[in-house]
Amino acid sequence: MDVTSKLVGVAASEGVAVGPVFVHSPGELKPERETIPEGTADVEIEHFQRSVEAVVPKLSETAEKMREAGNDNEAAIFDAHIELAQDPELAEGVAERVRNLESPEAAVLAVGEEYAEMFAGMEDAYMAARADDVRDVARQISAEIMGESSLGLEALDRPSVVLAHGLAPSDTARVPKGMALGFVTAEGSKTSHVSIMARSMGIPAVVGVGASIEEAFKADVVAINGGEGYAIADPDEEAISDIERRQAELDTERAELEQYKDTEAHTSDGRRIEVSANLGSAAEAAGALEWGAEGVGLFRTEFLFMERDELPSEDEQYAVYRDVVEAFGEKPVIFRTLDVGGDKDLPGVEQPVEENPFLGWRGIRMCLDVPELFKPQLRALLRAAAHGNLKMMFPMIVDADEVRSAKAMLDECRGELESEGAEIGSVEVGIMVETPAAALCAADIAGEVAFFSVGTNDLVQYTLAADRGNERLRHLQSADHPAVLNLIGQTCKAAEEAGIWVGVCGEAAADPSLIPRLVELGVKELSMSAPSIPKAKKVVSEV
Amino acid sequence: MKEKEVTIVPEEGLHARPAAEFVKAAKAYSSDIRVMKGDKNANAKSSLNLMSLGAKKGDKLVIQAEGEDEEAAVEELAALIEEG
Repeated sequence: MDVTSKLVGVAASEGVAVGPVFVHSPGELKPERETIPEGTADVEIEHFQRSVEAVVPKLSETAEKMREAGNDNEAAIFDAHIELAQDPELAEGVAERVRNLESPEAAVLAVGEEYAEMFAGMEDAYMAARADDVRDVARQISAEIMGESSLGLEALDRPSVVLAHGLAPSDTARVPKGMALGFVTAEGSKTSHVSIMARSMGIPAVVGVGASIEEAFKADVVAINGGEGYAIADPDEEAISDIERRQAELDTERAELEQYKDTEAHTSDGRRIEVSANLGSAAEAAGALEWGAEGVGLFRTEFLFMERDELPSEDEQYAVYRDVVEAFGEKPVIFRTLDVGGDKDLPGVEQPVEENPFLGWRGIRMCLDVPELFKPQLRALLRAAAHGNLKMMFPMIVDADEVRSAKAMLDECRGELESEGAEIGSVEVGIMVETPAAALCAADIAGEVAFFSVGTNDLVQYTLAADRGNERLRHLQSADHPAVLNLIGQTCKAAEEAGIWVGVCGEAAADPSLIPRLVELGVKELSMSAPSIPKAKKVVSEV
Repeated sequence: MKEKEVTIVPEEGLHARPAAEFVKAAKAYSSDIRVMKGDKNANAKSSLNLMSLGAKKGDKLVIQAEGEDEEAAVEELAALIEEG
């Protein structure tokens, strides 16, 4: 095997695949021609119009897919893109430039850029963000004119291995179902978003391969082994047969794991361990149940608040929370209240620019300061609790006072709802243990709550002072460190004395080598991305 | 020619999504329709143009149509802006 064609990175998501390369590299679209010969303007204007007509059905297909998956907000964005593509002023602007012998592929980019700059200069943050929409649409039309059928990941139309410098959550979300065979990225770590998304989609991923990605961009075919953390550009027969062998092994393993899906997890000496799913949107509920989730150990509510022009109303939140608890019936669903900081924009909340957003005004700190943000969520959760087994937990807690303040706000909401005559349910309240402070104060906090949920990703980052996205600190990004395990142990001890339970909802919960140690420490619930559930149940049964 | 002055009611002004709805409605008419804000003037059938007005809640716009269906066009589009 040619050593130079091997890309070594982080084993971010298990599985193997061999397939054609799809390079996702936004921002590098160059017009093929700057100018066109005299006398061809009319033909080129028609060429532009035909390209618009070719782009529109692709956009409406994406919108339709988003709608089917329950992502109405995203669908509306693509609907707006369709309008932009067919815009008469865009067409007129392009036609004028083409009549002056500018190539249509250059003209559409230029006109798009003019509008984008105008929007970007507006004081309104929402309008400024539309600049990207216009650029996106102009690029798609330009690419279509040049015969490059695909640009964005949503245009992926044959199963491929996706290569990129980095992938944003919205990028991965745009991949049509079944079209991504694997992800290989230059940046990223095991806990970066692309890795988490890949695991939840059950797609192999190798991240953090560094500059070697550039070479692989030129390859036709890439083989990826996500479990071992490598990818091979233009693999030879030997490499392909390695991958095929691994595929066969994984298939056997998967068939074996099938039997664990519908069982309750018990250790060999009979201790009951609940194995649950981490969810990031309501649409993932059905999939999680299929993988055998015994509940939801972490439901991230941030998706409701992102990429929109105003905060979600109480009723909108209520409808989502209610649907999720109803889907799980008697099984518990733990909602984490909003955990956003300066690294993400929130509509209607003025966030100062911070040097260290992960040590900043985020999570419960922001929620306690902004009741108009926090109370609608608390009210929606109390109302949804009438329809199922709903629990909630607060993120970024550092002491018992914060818990008391949050509970006081919850009581206030409960009182209001009762006097309004609204139907509400009982809710168990817990906290995330993700700061060393929470673990060290666990005995104090335990008197205030019904459970602890250890968020190992952040607990590791804060305990070891190691940014979870920093590729050079990979050796400091696992919960398998005595300091972290000590803190989890302390948390379990405090919980046991207070008669409450502890769950783990970070990456460590799905790590076969860590599960036995977590169970020995006294952890009663493990929550993870759904495809990891059957294997975790098997590992638990062997403890 | 027919025209009418309206004040924008939707919280989000004439953003991408409301603009797209507005354009869809405008395209149903054969008349030439313009939307004016101060000295700026936009084609009502172009969401790019409309968005470049930067129209916000509370802004006053004039809708002007010229053509066979000008009356109906101005009435419907004015209602859309005022009612959101």
